[in-house]
Amino acid sequence: MHNGILYLVTQDIREALLPIAGSEIIVNLTIMALGIALMFGLVTGSALIFTLLERKVCAFIQVRIGPNRVGPGGTLQSLADMLKLMSKEDIVPQGIDMWLWVLSPALIFVPSALIYAMFPFDDGVIFADVNIGLFLILAITSQSVLPFLMGGYASNSKYAMIGGMRTVAQMLAYEVPMVFALMGVVMLTGSLKMSAIVEAQTDVWFVVLQPLAFLIFMVAALVESNRPPFNIVEGESEIIAGPFTEYTGMRWALFFLAEFANLLSISIMTTTLFLGGWHGPEFLPGMVWFAIKVMIMVLVYQWIGWTFPRLRIDHMLTFGWKVLLPIALVNVLLTGIGIYVFNWL
Amino acid sequence: MNYLSKEQLQKIKSQFATVEYDDSQAEPALYVARSEFLDLLKSLKEKVSLSFDRLANYTAVDYKDYFEIVYNLFSRRYNRWVTVKVKLEDHDNPEIESVTGIWEGANFEERETYDLMGIRFLNHPNLTRILMPDDYDAFPLRKDFVPLEPKIEGGELVWHKPSTIS
Amino acid sequence: MAQTEHYILNMGPQHPSTHGVLRVKVELDGERIVHCTPVMGYLHRGIEKLMESRTYTQCVPFTDRLDYVSSMNNNWAFCGAVEKLAGIEVPERAEYIRVICAELNRIASHQVFIGSLLIDLGAATGMIYAFRDREKVLDLFNIICGARMTCHYIRIGGVIKDAQDEFLKETQKFVDYVPQMLQEYDNLFTGNEIFMERLKGTSIITKEDALRFNMSGPNIRASGHEYDIRKIDSYGVYDRFDFQVPTGTKGDNWDRYRIRFEEIRESARIIQQALDSIPAGPYMAKVPKVLKPAKGDVYHRVENTRGELGFYIVSDGTTKPYRVHIHRPSFINLQALDTMCKGLLLADAVAAYATVDPLMGEVDC
Repeated sequence: MHNGILYLVTQDIREALLPIAGSEIIVNLTIMALGIALMFGLVTGSALIFTLLERKVCAFIQVRIGPNRVGPGGTLQSLADMLKLMSKEDIVPQGIDMWLWVLSPALIFVPSALIYAMFPFDDGVIFADVNIGLFLILAITSQSVLPFLMGGYASNSKYAMIGGMRTVAQMLAYEVPMVFALMGVVMLTGSLKMSAIVEAQTDVWFVVLQPLAFLIFMVAALVESNRPPFNIVEGESEIIAGPFTEYTGMRWALFFLAEFANLLSISIMTTTLFLGGWHGPEFLPGMVWFAIKVMIMVLVYQWIGWTFPRLRIDHMLTFGWKVLLPIALVNVLLTGIGIYVFNWL
Repeated sequence: MNYLSKEQLQKIKSQFATVEYDDSQAEPALYVARSEFLDLLKSLKEKVSLSFDRLANYTAVDYKDYFEIVYNLFSRRYNRWVTVKVKLEDHDNPEIESVTGIWEGANFEERETYDLMGIRFLNHPNLTRILMPDDYDAFPLRKDFVPLEPKIEGGELVWHKPSTIS
Repeated sequence: MAQTEHYILNMGPQHPSTHGVLRVKVELDGERIVHCTPVMGYLHRGIEKLMESRTYTQCVPFTDRLDYVSSMNNNWAFCGAVEKLAGIEVPERAEYIRVICAELNRIASHQVFIGSLLIDLGAATGMIYAFRDREKVLDLFNIICGARMTCHYIRIGGVIKDAQDEFLKETQKFVDYVPQMLQEYDNLFTGNEIFMERLKGTSIITKEDALRFNMSGPNIRASGHEYDIRKIDSYGVYDRFDFQVPTGTKGDNWDRYRIRFEEIRESARIIQQALDSIPAGPYMAKVPKVLKPAKGDVYHRVENTRGELGFYIVSDGTTKPYRVHIHRPSFINLQALDTMCKGLLLADAVAAYATVDPLMGEVDC
């Protein structure tokens, strides 16, 4: 049986609710609704916190102080920014494709939030522990390219169009090596189920068994989430802000939030797939270990982002197709041989 | 600063009939007629004993009844200077051949001179305004220049000649 | 039938990486550049015309507004031209202070170059480091003349105020710090693989092209042509100092970056020598209150941080110049932009603007 703290708490709530509600279905639905509310709170809340964290980390790397005016030590800065963005005028440019243009910022948030359902936060604490979990995650994340392309196409701006085209190109070039890198993990586990993948790392984390896959995944994840140094989609010194050049106020803020939600989700994926998920020494609950690992990965991604110059699009595509993909394929081969040798021993 | 030596000057004078040398000013200058100036510049640049290969400065001056085009040439090899001046007597319709055939880098400076001084350059690859708006109808650096007044008419910016001169 | 078309992208005048209000009409084939045409004039203030209605002394502050990140060199160019026109001898000490200030300004300007290049390549961190150190130079200017950017410190006949001991001491401290500073930049980004990949072999200007376009300054030196006015046509007291003129070999973006880097080192060397040998004495020549140079014209040029900055002044014997023409290096250097960018990607065009280093205050004049 599972022994994650959140799982146990949920069980307690379930038992407490059962006599009140009377029916098991209603209890399940209530728990589900609670969970969804929590998840959205987590995604938006973390985006707010990460905005501040990003700026503080960036300031630390750049020998600056960072925001320190709003609230104690600048902690309320992202809230103030949010309020400012909400109160801003919503400028609608001329000659746009209205439907696509309005839908794009709304849709951008869907894949970012949806994949949280497949993340195991603790032992037994997973929203939808489907048996094709990893496959579903990859399928959903690759959908995030569509809102970018929609926004870029609909904006009636050349900068936005270039940005939209770049998204597709980089998406194609990096989704393939990423999937092949994760093949190694799946081969070791023998399952696509997220909880099973974490379960399999009880003794040894996959970062030890799959170092190559780990590195490939890190690079590909940075690309997928448009983090620097791979942020060519927005590439602010070349194409202003790419697909969201023409967006203002709240619409722009949604793109912005999605970006930070993506940062969190790639950190969670790295933790789950390679760093043993909730596993850790006994003195802390699994939930806390999970949070610590995720935070470290967030910091690592930010550190990478703030130290490197941006890549050029052709270098980046060449790197994806001609370097990462062969390495990922070799990794699959090596893993296969490794498993065969291990079984034979 | 080193300038042309006497022998070189003699040589140039023997080749080009219209060349006059004026060393009474702060910087001595060669005055040449428009008919010969291109050949003079070419020989100044290409003759090894002169090799004034750099067009250090290039401009025009409005002297109210005539224009003067000034070429400051510098020779890297001999560390020597020469100033070539061409007078354009026709103040209403100043025209001169472009030197972009000799120094391609004079392109922008000639466009600037056209833009601000209103001197037309013949055989220039792209003689359009460079600093002022394309539809501007005056030449600001001329001495008789009166600033035009910008007005917005029907959403378009239009430049008007001032009605009264205060 | 599928077919592709070229399209025109207007980069600027409001664009994050065109350094002010430069507008570049880029004709693109996908993301490849077919043509690019610089369009300028958005910052045209008519300084040449304005100078015609001011006295010579009143003209000097205008020069600060030309190339506003290296104002000392601009002051020097204009004052040098007027001094030549009026036959004013500048005292020894003033010449030394001028050299110190001009070279400090060169360092500051190159730091702006490094900073803006880095931010154009997407490395915002590098920019902050370069600007942090530029601040130190600006503080030195603050000590010596009370202004940070538009100094108006070098005047006709010398400098407006003597260099205090505090300034000389602080300058010495800064010069000692320069090698450490450059080392830090090297560690942070010069060896970075992405940085090298983006700069090496892109936007090449051959020596022939550079000469053809009449380029000057670090841009022509990066192409391998040793053309530094401080060395070949020395002005002030530059001939008394021992310094190298760094030159590149290929003329690509990387060379243009490295040249600036080495020039900071050489500038520090010049400042060190000037500090060691600065004489005592007056800092301002006897200049008549009403300056009336004799009739005539004069051309004087200096090695500005961006290249050859020259002032052509015509005097008609009155207190005001009859005509001033400014030969601006950034303006001339921009001619090479089309040749540099042809066939490259949009991202390279951004790197190319950054390494040509045009400053719109100077281009538009």
